Amino acid sequence: MAFKRDKKEEEDGGGNIFQNLEKTSVLQEARTFNDTPVNPRKCTHILTKILYLLNQGEQLGSTEATEVFFAVTKLFQSKDVVLRRMVYLGIKELSSLAEDVIIVTSSLTKDMTGREDLYRAAAIRALCSITDVTMLQSIERYMKQAIVDRNSAVSSAALVSSLHLTKVAGEVVKRWVNEAQEAANSDSIMVQYHALGVLYHIRKSDRLAVTKLVAKFKSGRMSLKSPFAICLVIRIVSKLLEEAGGEWAESPLFDFVESCLRHKSETVIYEAAHAIVNMKNTTQRELAPAVSVLQLFCTSPKPTLRFAAVRTLNKVAMSHPAALMACNCDLESLITDSNRSIATLAITTLLKTGAESSVDR
Amino acid sequence: MEGSLLEPTLYTVKGMLILDNDGHRILAKYYDPAIFPTAKEQKAFEKNLFNKTHRANAEIIMLDGLTCVYRSNVDLFFYVMGSCHENELILMSVLQCLYDSISQILRKNVEKRVVMENLDIVMLAMDEICDGGIILEADSQSVVQRVALRTDDIPLGEQTVAQVFQSAKEQLKWSLLK
Repeated sequence: MAFKRDKKEEEDGGGNIFQNLEKTSVLQEARTFNDTPVNPRKCTHILTKILYLLNQGEQLGSTEATEVFFAVTKLFQSKDVVLRRMVYLGIKELSSLAEDVIIVTSSLTKDMTGREDLYRAAAIRALCSITDVTMLQSIERYMKQAIVDRNSAVSSAALVSSLHLTKVAGEVVKRWVNEAQEAANSDSIMVQYHALGVLYHIRKSDRLAVTKLVAKFKSGRMSLKSPFAICLVIRIVSKLLEEAGGEWAESPLFDFVESCLRHKSETVIYEAAHAIVNMKNTTQRELAPAVSVLQLFCTSPKPTLRFAAVRTLNKVAMSHPAALMACNCDLESLITDSNRSIATLAITTLLKTGAESSVDR
Repeated sequence: MEGSLLEPTLYTVKGMLILDNDGHRILAKYYDPAIFPTAKEQKAFEKNLFNKTHRANAEIIMLDGLTCVYRSNVDLFFYVMGSCHENELILMSVLQCLYDSISQILRKNVEKRVVMENLDIVMLAMDEICDGGIILEADSQSVVQRVALRTDDIPLGEQTVAQVFQSAKEQLKWSLLK
């Protein structure tokens, strides 16, 4: 274990070997980073201390942060995997505090295009955290390659990072749409999910393009296996339906959401029920299937599922109290739920729907 | 009911927390600068959250407009937060992944002392699960693979076939490179 040698510290801190850290002394220790050759275990430990202090809310001044940052860059000499990964983490944490962080661009670019898979994905994410508009062009080619990489971690990292980059450079990511499209056909369920998110972000202002994106999924040309991705599609579809106003009653898009009520993943079923309940102008007939799956969830042994169900039924109670008649019994049994949030929600729901006859029970 | 339709976005997670049994922060990540921008506000929220959750093992709570799912073990509390409109089950799968990954990394010794001893790997695991509020990976097996756990740290009996294979491959590679 990396930190065994600190037995004495451990005894003081009641199980927390980082208890009595002081900023100045840790920053002193960071000078070890300049030694050659690098001692990976020792440096990893010191770097962990620095990150721990930052995470505890310790403030670093710009000069201090820059000094640490430059010391950290010295650690690129070591090939130790854990240390290198901690260096990436350090770069990300310090990138907003230190100055001249772009100095590590070339080291990170080298890692992201290198052969070590364990480095590549993390290097991409670190690189994008220090990149600004002016530098984006120089890494654009590598980003495009990474998005369509066969390694799912690399591809996901690139997609997620490009979404973060839209905050600094909204336009540039639009040029990567072809790569994102290709990634959407990936076998990895997370890559699919991330690619879908990026594609939607690029196209969201263009209604026709969004409709096409959805159609592609519905026709089965793009089969989504990730429950997260299907939830995202349900949200996109609900938005389309809402924008269409009251014209959607017989729409195939609505049928799609309804069909998700029969999906095998509870996450998807709930997402679909939640979407239907929150649509405007739904009739009681359209609500009924959603309400009945939520009613089923009310009796689940999982508190989260019961909570989700009763919270959503609470919404229904506001617009269509009559639709809940059949659920009242299940809701009544939730009043005594061990989770207070669930019990409270059940009571407020019943106040809206309950009849006089149920008060005594 | 305006505003309750969920915005189609990948930004799902507002924060992840690990607290000890006094409610002190071990690790905390807040992904949305709009909520609790300062360390002081964050700590106040954590204190409040801990007070409301440490006795009732109820799995989910709504607090300050956030939905928090949580679970505890021995002397640790794990939390995942999302907007109050977020699909709770998605947050739950993130929590599950966070807990399972850490449990695998610590070889089922999920307690404060062991977390502190392996803080570097725990930080890396959190970083692999969520990137800036986007769920990066929700499968604990993949997370553990990606955090570059020193394979010599796991006794052979507890390694999966894939891990043994991976480490053998790596050793072969390095021996060729030498």
